[in-house]
Amino acid sequence: MKAKEQNIWIGEKDLNNDPEFHKELQMEFPMDNAELAEKAMERDGNRRDFLKLMGFSLGAATMAAGCDIPVKRAMPYVTKPEDIVPGVATYYASAIAQGGDFCPVIVKTREGRPIKIEGNPNSSMTGGGTTARAQASVLSLYDVNRYKKPHLMIDGKMAVTSWDNVDQAMRAVLKAGKVRVVTNSVLSPSDRNAMNQFAANTGGKVVTYDAVSSAAILEANEQTFGTRAIPSYRFDKADVIVSFNADFLGTWISPLEYTHQFAKGRKPQDRKMSRLVQVESHMSLTGSNADNRILVKPSEQGAAIAALANAIIGGVNGPALNARASKAITKVAGELRKAAGRSLVVSASNNVAEQILVNAINNTLGNYGNTISFNAASMARQGNERDLEVLISEIKSGLVNTIIFNNCNPLYDYAKAGELAEALKDVKNIVGMSYAPNETSAVCNVIAPVSHNLESWGDAEAKKGEVSIIQPTIAPLFDTRQIGESLSAWTGGASSMSSAFDNLQNAYKASYSPASGFSSFQAYWDSVMHGGGMSTDGSVSSSNFSADMGSLARLVSKPASSELEISFFEPVSIGNGQYADNPWLMEMPDPVTRTSWGNYLAVPVGFDGVRKMIGLNNLKDGDLVKLTVGGKEMKVPVIQQFGQMPGTVALALGYGRTNSGPCASGVGVNVNDCLTTENGLTQLYNTDVSVSTKVGEEDYFSCVQYHHAYGLKGTEKSTGERINADEAILGMAYGKAGYQGSITERSVMYTTNLKDLDSNIAELKEKRAFAQDLNSKTLYPYEEYKADRYSQGHHWGMHVDLNACTGCGACTVACMSENNVPVVGKKEVSKHHEMTWLRIDRYFYGDIESPNTVYQPLMCQHCDNAPCENVCPVNATNHSAEGLNQMTYNRCIGTRYCANNCPFKVRRFNWYDYTTADIFPANQVKLNGEEVPYGADNLTRMVLNPDVTVRARGVIEKCSFCVQRIQEGKLTAKSEARRLTSSDVRTACQSACPTGAITFGDQNDKGGELSKKLASDLNYVALEEINVRSSVTYTMKVNNRDETMDA
Amino acid sequence: MLCNALRTNILYTFLFLSLGFSSAAEVSVDGGKTIFTNVCGQCHARDMKTLSTGPALGGYAESWSEYPREDLYSWIRNSQALIGTGHPRAVELWNDYKPTLMTNNLDLSDDDIESVLAYIDCKVVNGPECTAAIVANGTDGAVGVQQSNSWMYWLIFAILAGLALFLSRVINNMGRIAAHRDGVPYEGKTLAQTLTSKSMITFGIFALVILGGYTTVSRAMELGRQQTYAPEQPIKFSHETHAGVNKIDCQYCHDGARRSKHALIPATNTCMNCHAAIKVGTEHGTAELTKVFASAGYDPSTNKYIENYDNLSEEEIKAIYTKWIADSYLAETGLAELDNEGKRIVDAQWKGLVSSLTNDQKTKIQGPIEWIRVHNLPDHVYFSHAQHVTVGKVECQQCHGPVEDMELVEQHAPLSMGWCINCHKETEVQFKDNDYYNSYMKYHEELASGEKEKVTVEDIGGLECQKCHY
Repeated sequence: MKAKEQNIWIGEKDLNNDPEFHKELQMEFPMDNAELAEKAMERDGNRRDFLKLMGFSLGAATMAAGCDIPVKRAMPYVTKPEDIVPGVATYYASAIAQGGDFCPVIVKTREGRPIKIEGNPNSSMTGGGTTARAQASVLSLYDVNRYKKPHLMIDGKMAVTSWDNVDQAMRAVLKAGKVRVVTNSVLSPSDRNAMNQFAANTGGKVVTYDAVSSAAILEANEQTFGTRAIPSYRFDKADVIVSFNADFLGTWISPLEYTHQFAKGRKPQDRKMSRLVQVESHMSLTGSNADNRILVKPSEQGAAIAALANAIIGGVNGPALNARASKAITKVAGELRKAAGRSLVVSASNNVAEQILVNAINNTLGNYGNTISFNAASMARQGNERDLEVLISEIKSGLVNTIIFNNCNPLYDYAKAGELAEALKDVKNIVGMSYAPNETSAVCNVIAPVSHNLESWGDAEAKKGEVSIIQPTIAPLFDTRQIGESLSAWTGGASSMSSAFDNLQNAYKASYSPASGFSSFQAYWDSVMHGGGMSTDGSVSSSNFSADMGSLARLVSKPASSELEISFFEPVSIGNGQYADNPWLMEMPDPVTRTSWGNYLAVPVGFDGVRKMIGLNNLKDGDLVKLTVGGKEMKVPVIQQFGQMPGTVALALGYGRTNSGPCASGVGVNVNDCLTTENGLTQLYNTDVSVSTKVGEEDYFSCVQYHHAYGLKGTEKSTGERINADEAILGMAYGKAGYQGSITERSVMYTTNLKDLDSNIAELKEKRAFAQDLNSKTLYPYEEYKADRYSQGHHWGMHVDLNACTGCGACTVACMSENNVPVVGKKEVSKHHEMTWLRIDRYFYGDIESPNTVYQPLMCQHCDNAPCENVCPVNATNHSAEGLNQMTYNRCIGTRYCANNCPFKVRRFNWYDYTTADIFPANQVKLNGEEVPYGADNLTRMVLNPDVTVRARGVIEKCSFCVQRIQEGKLTAKSEARRLTSSDVRTACQSACPTGAITFGDQNDKGGELSKKLASDLNYVALEEINVRSSVTYTMKVNNRDETMDA
Repeated sequence: MLCNALRTNILYTFLFLSLGFSSAAEVSVDGGKTIFTNVCGQCHARDMKTLSTGPALGGYAESWSEYPREDLYSWIRNSQALIGTGHPRAVELWNDYKPTLMTNNLDLSDDDIESVLAYIDCKVVNGPECTAAIVANGTDGAVGVQQSNSWMYWLIFAILAGLALFLSRVINNMGRIAAHRDGVPYEGKTLAQTLTSKSMITFGIFALVILGGYTTVSRAMELGRQQTYAPEQPIKFSHETHAGVNKIDCQYCHDGARRSKHALIPATNTCMNCHAAIKVGTEHGTAELTKVFASAGYDPSTNKYIENYDNLSEEEIKAIYTKWIADSYLAETGLAELDNEGKRIVDAQWKGLVSSLTNDQKTKIQGPIEWIRVHNLPDHVYFSHAQHVTVGKVECQQCHGPVEDMELVEQHAPLSMGWCINCHKETEVQFKDNDYYNSYMKYHEELASGEKEKVTVEDIGGLECQKCHY
């Protein structure tokens, strides 16, 4: 029996109307007595703290009575740099490039230290958007764990040394030749040159591999088009997109660029929407944004691609595919044919034959030259893990004397890390050009630490012909060098080291010609620096498509017969472990599973045929299971995942680091060694897997899925009717009349299919009119109040376009960075104590077994009739004349009434001293057993935004609409004696968004960006019927699902 | 029993009353003297007869006699505002004294001002003996006494006290009569018994707690405030010499004030703009200026910046600057060789230089000068100089006082939240010449129709929490 279609739900507990969950919802911060007792026990320092406190008070009293206030000093510059005014931010155009990840940025610095990353709006590739990883990169700069000095093995022990010693040692070692440089994809042309030059000089080779490989695509293109490159895809030009397991909105190749493009093709306001069909087993970020999902097991990917090729080209007789998918694929093929030249098929498969088939499909559809082009090809993936296999055999045959690891970590993220580690024991010299300790640097006998991206000169060519220049925004904090500098120092004599800046400038001398309109090279260079980059020739020669189609069907991967399969995926936040030691990313919940601090086994949820949804093996969220993959046994916690194909489970890569910063070591499990290889290429699935029944419970289940839920509906037990959960708990009578205080349908989310859009707009209009009618029945008419209060000056508001939002999470990290929002750690998250001011709620809707997903970024709604304001006993939260719901920390006494009374659950309480260097250890929390609590050291604190107060323990905080930016924008306008424009004030979340989903502005500015957005008839206001008059407007979520494909 | 309770109640009521009015503000010459010393005396001569930075105050009664007393109040609180309205006396004064601004005194109450005026009158009449005269004559003859309403409190106090006594007497008598009727001996309470009764002690404790709480809170609010804070600086920099005598514009050195939240202490290099040429100070000779040279690495003997200065040892630096001090001494005295006095001066000045430019953290002489911050705001306050200086067009002196007269800078204003708020309530927004404020249509209409006289900072949200706290 098929489950009924449903309105929105957030997860199994919600859908099954779990009474425990409803009870929890009623509490602002659920915590049982046992836990409270534990909390008391935990604070074993209590007595000592008390004595300290006594001492402190005595001291304070004495000071207050007799002594002067402490003397504060101020140091001006000796010679003030021209472009720095203390107190005013300076911005530098640059780019963040790590491995293949790339984001053109503008770096905000204050008093010479970078504190915030903004996107570079000049970039045609990103349109000014950013990723969560780019946003978080500024925190890595202040990582306490990074290498601060070069290290050298002396008498079997790693010891701190000087660069001179390292250089001497390296020059001696390199004389013997037999050198290999191992690296991930390098976006920088000058670094690539430096490495190639170095290899040529030392008689060695450069080995490139990627933590998550796209080698098959490169090879397929080499075979079929004669060019080893990843073409430039145009998701904005495609009407039908079919993606085989390619998470192009999350992690695949160049997600930022693709996200920006994808959103352009989704404009339901103009009745124009592309259709995205995702073929996968695990629900990826892209899958969650897809209109239709076709569920195939990981091992069936090849069969699915072959089936599509057969339907489009014919003559490809691949292995058999499950019946449902096969029917759907036929249907998709028809659509693709209709949209020939306006369609796009992509695949993340790492099987060359499958990729050639994908190329053949695109070629037959005439997509090359339209939605795919080799001009401006992507450089994001250049690696080939087969070269690592070769390296291992070369080591075994004694061909390698020295290995240099260029900021990569194959001993963790390579599928055959064990084999490599074994082989490395025979290599005499292992050099780690690492940023921070990792699994690979642990076996090195020379550590030549590299500078951070933000400390470096460099270039990045993410797409052929589009060069971004990386300029440093701070002098190296520690004794580190850039790769090119070290390599040049090691090949030449004692004074051969050339500075990265000279190298870079020399490399681009040729790109300047007086014809460019600049009077001198310096003028040209300055303009490039200011704009962030330059365009060069991006054309790539490629031949016409040619492939031996006959043999391909035999070469695609064969579906396995095993009952259960597991797929592995790269999480949006921490990649394959490269970003695991960044606390902001570690705490950022996965957009789909909404888990943080660890990897959780996603298990499918099935309908029991009666009423309940039940997880695989009866597993519930947070249960521990024994997972056996290819003989490796591990204990992992479980998350019930809607949209996960029955007969499959999924687990994230990147966790379970062993030698890393304090926030990554030992968090989650490492599954890189569970990956299989096929023809030397890494496959992100395994068919030899078994999952036990429940063997325990996760100690700190840090999934934020059910935290801070609002306006939820549940099923009334006796009648089975869907009613509002809040009132059901209160035991109120169920009445459809819907006057306030009784049952009303809560407007949390509106969804529709594109074809029903008009009727749903009419329905929405009716619902809104009803809500407004309810609200008008009051003694205090809002319109009068509004006219009186907000008719002049500013009235701030925000619009969030749910059709543009893909849930990528860049805004949440941007918010943490801008507003000094603390990281709290796994245990605290499990207690609902996460501090995020902006969360992205994920809702499912529609078909329970194959649901659609909608993301709702939720921040303080700045209600003009705010319930929180009325209950504050000390008036610490109140309303401004500009419509802001103000929170005054120094007035707050921490009653938390406001948080309890907030219908949107957006207020956060500082249970501990998360950021300040408190004198009482019991007030601080440790993220993961680190020695000095995160945030208490001066290095990490350099990332704090000096314009935003660091909140102390015991106060409430919440989204302020970036009031510091509002004030700054107003001041700029006032100083220039002009009216404020839309571009003067952009909130952190708004400027971080790659799709422009968030618009902030002045509702009184009738010609402004916001007012235009507010005119749309798709708009609704969350919880409009409870008359809180929120200042944030959302749009109805429209999908373009083809329901005939489900059958 | 009843009568006892009643009696104590009356007693308490009357005690409370006495507590109540004893803390009420009133006009007094003594208070006026304190205010004059703290506020007015910085610019106005103490004898009320001679001209100083500001005019002699002795003649105020005549010169303001044509105008209502409120005009004088507004003049004292915010002179610029009154000048702005075109008040004849205000304009006359402004023409005599501009560009010197009179500091605003928004926090002075009417009583405070009357007290000051009373003090001025007293000084005019009694001269230096004014203080003695106060003791002798009380507030006799002072102008403001009529304004005070404390006599009313005294009257009410007297009436209630009389009533209390009377009622207490009545109750006592009634108790006696009742006792007599019942045939029991009447035991009236002695005064000692009344004072040591439980309820009396409870009341006493209660009153103490209230008073203690009040005092604690008001004292606690004072904590961290540093009005009149004037620390010694590492260099005896005189604002009087620079801003007063030489009339250098404040923002020439404090160039952050117009564009940043910080006014900024100028970089040493800014000093060098002038002091590359002016190498000997008028007051301290080489003693202070050499510190500036040593910070920047400038050799005044050769008029060149010293190359590779950062890497010089203390001995090398000492050689350069002691030579300069010695040479200057010789040039000044015309001696051919250093005498003992000269040696002493060189030694003392070098020691002074070292102690000014180094400390525990900064052991090198080279590099920035570590000044002591005079004006400190708590971390949870966001204050922007640019907003006030560029947009609000507030004169520096309005908050910082007559810096151009300060040899050593001291904190003029209390920098308390109440002080900020008061100013935001009074200050008019520069509404007309700034297009930014065009979005305030309603106010513009009201101004045009005369419904509103002025738009204050308060009107556009200047008292809201998140204007300063975020």
